Amino acid sequence: MAVALSIDGLTVDFGGFRAVDDFTTVVEDGELRVILGPNGAGKTTLMDLISGKTASTGGHVHLYGTEITNRPEHIIARHGVGRKFQIPSVFRDLTVRQNLEVAASGEPGVFRNLRLHMVAQDRERIDRVIELTNLGPVLGTIAGELSHGQMQWLELGMLITQQAKVVLLDEPTAGMTQAETFKTAEIINALKGSHTILVVEHDMAFVREIAERISVMHMGRLLAEGPMAQIEADPAVREAYLGSGGIH
Amino acid sequence: MSDIIFIGLSLSSILLLIALGLSITYGAMGVINMAHGELVMIGAYTAVLAGLHLNLNLFFALPLAFVTSGLAGLVIERLVIRRLYGRIIDTLLATWGVAILLQQLVRLEFGLSFLGIHVEGLGPGLQNMTVPGFLTQPFDIAGITIQPYRSFIIVVTLALTALTWWLMYRTPTGVQVRAIMRNPQIAAACGIDVRRVSALTFAYGSGLAGVAGVLLAGFKTVMPEMGAAVVIDGFLVVVVGGVGSLLGTLLSAAVLGQINGVFAILTNDILARAVVFGVVIALILWRPRGLFSFKSR
Amino acid sequence: MSDTTASSATPNRLNRIADWGIYALFIAVVLGLPMLMDDVFWLNRIAKYLVYGMLGIAIALSWGYAGILNLGQGLFFGLGAYMTAMSLKLMSSTSLQQGSDKPVPDFMLWNAEPGAMTDLCCINKGSFLWIPFQHQWFGLAMAIVLPLIVAFILSSSIFRLRVSGVYVAIITLALVLLVRLLIIDAQPVTNGFNGLTDLGWLTIGGFEFDPYMVQTYYVVAGSLCLVLLLARWLVSTRAGLILQSTRDDPTRARYLGYDVAAFQVFFFTVSAGIAGFAGMLYVVAAEFASPSFMDITFSISMVVWAAVGGRNSLIGACLGAILINTIEATVSETEVFKEAWKLIIGLIFVLVVLYMPRGLAGLARDLTGWLGQRRRGADPMPKAAE
Repeated sequence: MAVALSIDGLTVDFGGFRAVDDFTTVVEDGELRVILGPNGAGKTTLMDLISGKTASTGGHVHLYGTEITNRPEHIIARHGVGRKFQIPSVFRDLTVRQNLEVAASGEPGVFRNLRLHMVAQDRERIDRVIELTNLGPVLGTIAGELSHGQMQWLELGMLITQQAKVVLLDEPTAGMTQAETFKTAEIINALKGSHTILVVEHDMAFVREIAERISVMHMGRLLAEGPMAQIEADPAVREAYLGSGGIH
Repeated sequence: MSDIIFIGLSLSSILLLIALGLSITYGAMGVINMAHGELVMIGAYTAVLAGLHLNLNLFFALPLAFVTSGLAGLVIERLVIRRLYGRIIDTLLATWGVAILLQQLVRLEFGLSFLGIHVEGLGPGLQNMTVPGFLTQPFDIAGITIQPYRSFIIVVTLALTALTWWLMYRTPTGVQVRAIMRNPQIAAACGIDVRRVSALTFAYGSGLAGVAGVLLAGFKTVMPEMGAAVVIDGFLVVVVGGVGSLLGTLLSAAVLGQINGVFAILTNDILARAVVFGVVIALILWRPRGLFSFKSR
Repeated sequence: MSDTTASSATPNRLNRIADWGIYALFIAVVLGLPMLMDDVFWLNRIAKYLVYGMLGIAIALSWGYAGILNLGQGLFFGLGAYMTAMSLKLMSSTSLQQGSDKPVPDFMLWNAEPGAMTDLCCINKGSFLWIPFQHQWFGLAMAIVLPLIVAFILSSSIFRLRVSGVYVAIITLALVLLVRLLIIDAQPVTNGFNGLTDLGWLTIGGFEFDPYMVQTYYVVAGSLCLVLLLARWLVSTRAGLILQSTRDDPTRARYLGYDVAAFQVFFFTVSAGIAGFAGMLYVVAAEFASPSFMDITFSISMVVWAAVGGRNSLIGACLGAILINTIEATVSETEVFKEAWKLIIGLIFVLVVLYMPRGLAGLARDLTGWLGQRRRGADPMPKAAE
């Protein structure tokens, strides 16, 4: 299997405080990796480093063999990294359909986009995503008026429309009802295989629903890595979680 | 050399005077108050009217203008700005309308001119405030000519800056104001009456504008349009200094005033102002958050 | 499911028809006006307000669609005006003193050192800058090219450094004031405070466009319609949609792979080009260029016209500018109204910002939305399943 994302000794130093410290892992193509860890373990910072929001101070990130370390966000995105934020981030003044259309345009440049209509392939892709995310009835709605769950699905839908090869999901079920969480798990399971996915998540029920391999972070470092059962039995993980009452 | 510094210093103090009130209304409340210049104008007219009709001199006009401009600010906050917190560009536009309104009210003598009634000291014409004689005679100390009125401005400005600092950093209300600056929601959750404190802060900043108006009236002609010219300068000082930083405002006024003074001597007044604008642009590009500012989340 | 999508398309289609209807009506009225009104003095006045309408479009493009508040649009308007005026000045009879065949602006002659050569090359230190403006088309081309260049350099530095929001407004504001001072200070070249007056007429193929002539009105009106349609096309393209997305959430747009700054620079520059074009037309109609074009009052006024008309609507902002100025001109005929009008306009600005943030266009959209609902009679928006 090809390697999708390889992170090697990634470090960021905020004036003495290392939020991510010498983090190394390899994510296979089509894998779904869950990143666990107590608050402040550096999970969101790790995503910031991969996606270019924060500049790392050491180490490398490779995407399908291409180095993307510390490139600008939009370049990393063009290489195929898509990101979903913890607080849903969609274009609130545009309609749901327009949101997807923005995500669908394969051309990044200004001048190539000076045309009125979409390419047929892009439109088909949008239609498939609409079906997957059940957003059909609200296509004409302004995104800012969607329910919390719908907004999350729209954002997920945008990542798929964008054709991101590696998808970073930051707590996709935060603030969701049980039914919404279930639907989200369904969408994510549908992405498995065709996309490589990195998920930061606290909700253990949800993690059990989707997880294959798990990386546990603690104080910016990689503490353990492996399948669910192995992680749950790991004494170091139990110790790290003692303060927050262990894994539930 | 000392002359140049003194000219720069007096330019700085005027900048600071105008910026001080703005530093609070913009820095603390996040409101771009384009009517700030008109609050300065109201202060100046208060001094003119107090002199003409009540025979009160500069020293009585200062507190009086603080009150009138402060009240005017309170009314503006109640009627307009209160509905616009968090929409910074909209505060700019709405207060621009307020500015036009206030200018026109003074020009039309609050509408009385439609009825043919004329109030001496108001109207579209030019007005002057008389400065007490002892503040107008320059005198020499150790070979340096001292302009007493300019020195008076510097002293009053520094005193007001000190007072504002004390209010902001040494009183319970100041703590509340600073809490609101950082995060109004959390401040409200901590039991701070955000609306009341915001209104008071805005009124205080407006009152400072009124004081600035009185001092300006001592060496500038008083007219309805006088405020429009000063408000931009005030903003540039506050933005360069860094939003919410009193020290930044002070230093930025000092630096910009000195630059203006030095270049005015090297070239002319027009180019000196152009240089100041150029420096401001460069500084904002270099440090958009201002020279001194806290990191807000 | 196909049912719900169809029903949600109805208000959209109605909106689109209403939209194009308004555009058609606007263009018909603007181009047909001379048939209803033969007073050339009013036509000339209205031509100037149509130019303001063009400024409204420029503002809506950068502020409404890109979310960039440019408080220095007067800079580009002024540059366009000065470039045009320099050429037209050299075509004026006032520039051909004592039967000379080499044009030199009259103010340069008045201020010339005794014995200086009365030629553009060397009558004073800066006069050589005027040489290429002897060709009218050079001045006209520069009226658009110079604003484009300045805007490109300015916006590249602003947006590459990710300066945003109020800071953009303040930089543009400081820049327009800076250039205004430079123009005033360069008195020998620009005639300083007085600006450029006594201009010649725009001449195309031997035809002289007297500002008080219906043909000149058509030049302005036709240009406005073209710019309106061009701007409309721009915002309807994929690029226009992506631009709006960068306004809503620049970070999200970046993570979709778009170079946000490139889109901002492009539309900021186009908006500046439109403002420069407006400056050119203004000079053709009004026969002067003045540093007052770069007064802060003028730049903020443009923004306010756009706000009243509707900042998110090209035609709304355009109409806002035309209406406010036409009303102002009408009421200013009598002295009492003129003074009272300023009170009213101040009040209108405040009320629009407080209660009608989407301006007249927003009002119109709400109205068509409401009509659409009534026509279908039923529950309008298929509300999200909770």
